Amino acid sequence: MADRAPWLAAAEAELRALARELEVPPTRDLTAAVRQQLEDRAASGRPRWRAPVSRPRWRWPRGRAALAALAVLAALAVVVIATPQGRAAISYVFRFGGVEIRQDQGHSRGQSPGQSPGPGRSATASVPLPGEQRMSLAQARRQVSFPVLVPAALGQPSQVLVSDGGRVVSLIYLGTPYGQVRMDEFAGQVDQIYFEKIVYLSNVTKVKVNGNKALWIKGPHELLYIARDGTTAEAPPRLTTGNTLLWGTRQAALRLEGNFGEQTALAIARSAH
Amino acid sequence: MLVARYTLPAHRAAFLLGAGEEADDVVQEAFVKAFRHLSRFRAGEPFGPWLLRIVANETRNLTRSRRRRAALVLRLAGPDATVQDGPVDEVLAAERRAGLVAAVNALPDRERKVLVCRYFLDLSEAETAQVLACPLGSVKSRTWRALNRLRGSLLPDEQTRISSG
Repeated sequence: MADRAPWLAAAEAELRALARELEVPPTRDLTAAVRQQLEDRAASGRPRWRAPVSRPRWRWPRGRAALAALAVLAALAVVVIATPQGRAAISYVFRFGGVEIRQDQGHSRGQSPGQSPGPGRSATASVPLPGEQRMSLAQARRQVSFPVLVPAALGQPSQVLVSDGGRVVSLIYLGTPYGQVRMDEFAGQVDQIYFEKIVYLSNVTKVKVNGNKALWIKGPHELLYIARDGTTAEAPPRLTTGNTLLWGTRQAALRLEGNFGEQTALAIARSAH
Repeated sequence: MLVARYTLPAHRAAFLLGAGEEADDVVQEAFVKAFRHLSRFRAGEPFGPWLLRIVANETRNLTRSRRRRAALVLRLAGPDATVQDGPVDEVLAAERRAGLVAAVNALPDRERKVLVCRYFLDLSEAETAQVLACPLGSVKSRTWRALNRLRGSLLPDEQTRISSG
């Protein structure tokens, strides 16, 4: 539809004009009703909701105006915020380059009660992301809206996967000196879909990649994919297999996972272009 | 407060997407769900489309439970569109709008929803895809198909008369 026919522009204009003339009945003020319903549900909910939860600390990187409004809500929603099923209360939440990191209290490191993918499983291969498709690097580049970075230090990937309607590109390197290495790239500025990590903060270090903020996460941790609307985690959580580096560019959020140390990971990340 | 700020657009979306008189209930439920899932809301993402997606979901659940096609028939506001007095131009324009509304009402559900989002709720293609939970390509193709179907009602008056017999 590059060359739009004149009738098409006219049609769109006419529909937009029509929008102003459509009948929509008046609405009532729902604030009180919504608050009442939230309080009722919180009160009648499972006991976990009433467990003492220390107030999460929020950091909002962007969209301040909208999020200021959200912050007002945080007080209201704090009872229900920490209720991923079967998980302990979350005491700390912050967000980085589209990745949400939560500290999880009350269970052993890297273990998710009831949902553990099981030790020794090759998680990277066994849990595909939604709509995952294997293709060539060139095809992947045509499918996504952001420039796909390839770390020169690792060379050409063994496999290229595109998932979730072109929102994620994953480069898989098999048989490297660091075992299987995986680099996921997300359309960071356009779409907000990401991984949620549940980690121990002592395992997280702030570092830099080419001047951009980055996080280095040591050791296995639970990783789950959250679709763009934030309401459906289509893939089950998996445990990461090694250490992870997270960083971002203007156009994408990146994560590099493999059995390497911090300096090697940083060198690989710096070589991505 | 978010509820006050987003009630109007959410209500409009719910109504036009087919919730009809139950739009208030849909919006109330959507807000409650949005707050319960607030922890999953991504920082930096606009809140509006995120909320509208929940509204669209709730509306779909409602119309599905009614076991009929989105029960809504879009109507023009204001005085009767078939008003006979007034300048000829105005009468013709009113007829034309009424014809267009009828044509939109007659569209297949999926195409109509895309048009509602794109033109009546003034969402971008990407926002429409998010709200209706479908790929961007589907938004484009459904818009295209719908506009082509409407073409008869949108053409200049004389041709409209000929094509509508």
